[in-house]
Amino acid sequence: MKSYNLNEALKAREAAFAGQRKDDGTVHLDDLSRVKVLSPGRQVFKRFIRNRLAVFGSVTLILMFVFSFLGPLFYPYGQKDIFYKYEPRNVDYGMVKENTAYTGYDLPGGGTVERAVNNKMNSTIKTMLSGGSDSGFIDGESQGYRVDKLADDIYQVSVSQTEAVCTYGSAEKDVGTYSMVGKKLTYADAPVEGLKDAIKDAIAKDAKGGTFELGGITYTYTRGKAKSYAITMPFEGVSYSGEALGEGFEAALKAAVDAGEGSFEYEGESYVAAKNGGTWEVSRLSASEPAKLFTRLTVSTYEVGRKVSNDMILAALQATAGNGAFEAEGRKWTMAREGDLWTIRDDAGQEFMELTPFSVRRYDGADTMEYGLKKALTEKAEELAASGEKTGTVTYDLPMQTDTGEYVHDDDGNVSTQSTELTLIQGQTGEFVVKCDQVIYVIDMFSSPSAEHPLGTDGDGFDVLSRIMYGGRISLMVGFVVVFLETFLGVIMGGLSGYYGGWVDMLIMRLVDIFYCLPSMPIMIILGALMDAMRMDTYVRLLIMMAALGIMGWASVARLVRGQILTLREQEFMVATEATGIRVKDRIFHHLVPNIMPQLIVQATMGMGGVILTESTLSFLGLGVKHPLATWGTIINSVSSASAMQHYAFIWIPVGLLICATVIAFNFVGDGLRDAYDPKAKR
Amino acid sequence: MLKYTVKRLAYSVLILFFVMFIIYVLMYNMPSGFVETKARELASRPGAKKSYAEWLADLNAQYGMDKGIVRGYFSWLSNAVRGNWGDSWAWTIPVTEVFHTTVWYSFALGLASFILEIIIAIPLGITAARHQYSFTDYFTTVVAMICISMPTFFVATVLKYVFSVKLGWFDLSGMQGRDYLTLSQFGRILDVAKHFVLPLITLVIISIGGLMRYTRTNMLEVLSADYIRTARAKGVPEKVVINRHAFRNTFIPLVTMLGGTLPGLFSGALITETLFSIRGIGHASYTSMTQADIPFIMFYLAFISILTLLGNLISDLLYAAADPRVRLS
Repeated sequence: MKSYNLNEALKAREAAFAGQRKDDGTVHLDDLSRVKVLSPGRQVFKRFIRNRLAVFGSVTLILMFVFSFLGPLFYPYGQKDIFYKYEPRNVDYGMVKENTAYTGYDLPGGGTVERAVNNKMNSTIKTMLSGGSDSGFIDGESQGYRVDKLADDIYQVSVSQTEAVCTYGSAEKDVGTYSMVGKKLTYADAPVEGLKDAIKDAIAKDAKGGTFELGGITYTYTRGKAKSYAITMPFEGVSYSGEALGEGFEAALKAAVDAGEGSFEYEGESYVAAKNGGTWEVSRLSASEPAKLFTRLTVSTYEVGRKVSNDMILAALQATAGNGAFEAEGRKWTMAREGDLWTIRDDAGQEFMELTPFSVRRYDGADTMEYGLKKALTEKAEELAASGEKTGTVTYDLPMQTDTGEYVHDDDGNVSTQSTELTLIQGQTGEFVVKCDQVIYVIDMFSSPSAEHPLGTDGDGFDVLSRIMYGGRISLMVGFVVVFLETFLGVIMGGLSGYYGGWVDMLIMRLVDIFYCLPSMPIMIILGALMDAMRMDTYVRLLIMMAALGIMGWASVARLVRGQILTLREQEFMVATEATGIRVKDRIFHHLVPNIMPQLIVQATMGMGGVILTESTLSFLGLGVKHPLATWGTIINSVSSASAMQHYAFIWIPVGLLICATVIAFNFVGDGLRDAYDPKAKR
Repeated sequence: MLKYTVKRLAYSVLILFFVMFIIYVLMYNMPSGFVETKARELASRPGAKKSYAEWLADLNAQYGMDKGIVRGYFSWLSNAVRGNWGDSWAWTIPVTEVFHTTVWYSFALGLASFILEIIIAIPLGITAARHQYSFTDYFTTVVAMICISMPTFFVATVLKYVFSVKLGWFDLSGMQGRDYLTLSQFGRILDVAKHFVLPLITLVIISIGGLMRYTRTNMLEVLSADYIRTARAKGVPEKVVINRHAFRNTFIPLVTMLGGTLPGLFSGALITETLFSIRGIGHASYTSMTQADIPFIMFYLAFISILTLLGNLISDLLYAAADPRVRLS
């Protein structure tokens, strides 16, 4: 059928009568100025436009979309850009510590030392120091190790083969075995009178084992295999595992043990006695071979950053035992001891390095401290340690830094210096931490709004404005997807329910009742906690969250659609579709659904605000969208702690207002649309 | 009426059965390893009396996880019906005990906000309707809309910022001041009441908008009815028209709606209580949810569902009771 539009007809009529109109001021019924007919769509639009709140809402929404979706295109920063800055700060510059641990240097060509022995070195040296002895012994897995003191703080470990000689002290001595089968007593050593009768009596009393006395000695018998008993007696003194070494050896052993020393010499051979419970196990050492040097001294060179080879250090350490002269790196060196430290000079008499028990180093691990600074810090640390004070200061010329943390060089290319105060603070374990002001490169956290960052930066160094833009994208997108999903589900379920009625209606409406009753917020929180526990990817979380929100929300749409369809179903145009035999699918989705479109649009618009609220609440609780993805909820969450909230109001207030504005705008538009579609409807 | 009530009750029980089934399936399908993790955590707690394997078997048996969904659900249900809800994992005391210690705080908070809401929203809604399109009307509408649109956490944060941080009138969160133990009995009540002020304001702000709009809409509808025009035409004073003719008829939908929200007073305010650390049932359930405390979550969700169904029932019954024209069948 040809459509008839009154407006166009009037226009055509006016064109036909153009110039014939009498300008006498009279008004005719067919006058254009009097009759104006609007199409239903235009009518709704006009009514909508008249509603100021709705227009305000629409404008806000348009602005919000432009801000969120177009804003990032023109804004230089992304949501995950981390910003850094240079800032002068009192940093932990370095530390001074008197070494207590000993480090090992392998001697070239020496034997290998077991790892376990390396670990035992510190405790062995401590024992030697407290006992005042110059040599010690470590029992290794397969071989023995002899520790000798070369000089103060320098110890040499040598590998020795050991051979068990005897045990000394109280032990159990084997007397013999008694066999029940032949009633025979076999003696291990000299026979003892009356032992056979005594053991018989004892066994008769207790067949499992026990003790009996004979001649003032307490014998112990234990049941062994094949009904035989082993008889032992306590024994004090030396029992040899090989041949006996005689009284002279025993005297030397007793003397050493009484003196508490672990090693002694006898007839040109070294013996080691190791205490094991109540007995001493004595073993003979074969010729030992030096394998490692242990020292608590560290190298400090006069020239900054000069590396010293291990060979040179070894040579110097070995020379401490001699006259102090040694050769290394193709040169001759001399060394002399002053107090705790050794100063090493080259052949020209120039100081080259020191071996000192103090280690002074930068916290970043680099050896960039001048010798003078190290010296000053060491002296101060010694002074503080001596006086028992915890803090002290040293003033020294440190390299000067620019505002961007670079060193300043003068015209000759030398680093300029500037007098800096360094503070030494004693830490828990006795070391001194050196603190001073340095310009360092840090994440630009919580910077206040500036020209560079209009809303400042947050706790991760992200630009807040860009986070808000990207956050808006996700928040709005979540709103759209969820509302689309719930409308889609709701229209299908509600359409089927309303159209068919009967048992389909019954079933679907019961389902709607169930979903109405499901508490959605708790379920979303549980889901969030669950995804937390599974450490799910943040994008996957986003998808699951949208799906879950959609599934939880379709029931109200279905109820609305069903109600509308129930009334529409009885109207004439539906009877007509039935009479003309249109397919059921088309009847529902082409004839019924378009008629409930206005209600659906209103419902969807209002729903959008609700979804945005839910999403932001979940994200605020940390159970929705996760860092580093931004949403409005997450941004507020990042500053929700009491102190952050107090100091960084410039972050959370704009975001909170944005959420409010968006939700209000959706609600205003929804309200406006409803009024415009059906001015007489009950709200 | 009685027949209708019984029918509705039976119907509610049926819905509850399925709602709990859905929730049970959700819990049952928690990714494998979740119960295991929980068992490991419980077993490694100081003073744990059972080993990991024992805990695992115990937890699985407790929730029927070893029986398959349907049988497991029935075993859980038979326990629950007999009042045996198990021990809470997060609070380490029986679930019902957690409920008893927390629900009354929530109820106090809910009731106070409910009363305030009625006192403020209904008169405002009526005033707005009486002077439609006036400044008051627009103002009320816009304020109501803003209240509806504000996220709870934002309201709470703004209130904290203004009243706790800037003005220092209230504590940021918690239910007791630091000198609580030194106070007298009356002082303690006052102290707790003071800590309830900000949560109360939050609750009132976020819920007031809806009631205001509802009152206004209903009042407008009544005011445009024929009998109001008749009353005015025959010279009834405006006061009487509003208070007797109009308000009484607006009262019916209001009572219906408010009656429906009554059971909700027990359900606690999840977000508000959590943000202000009020030890109500909302806060308890939030803690349980984040710690996957299955026994308490199941209990809480069942409780909430019962309250929702009860609310619907009360609302329908009140509708009939308040309006003699309605016949229930």
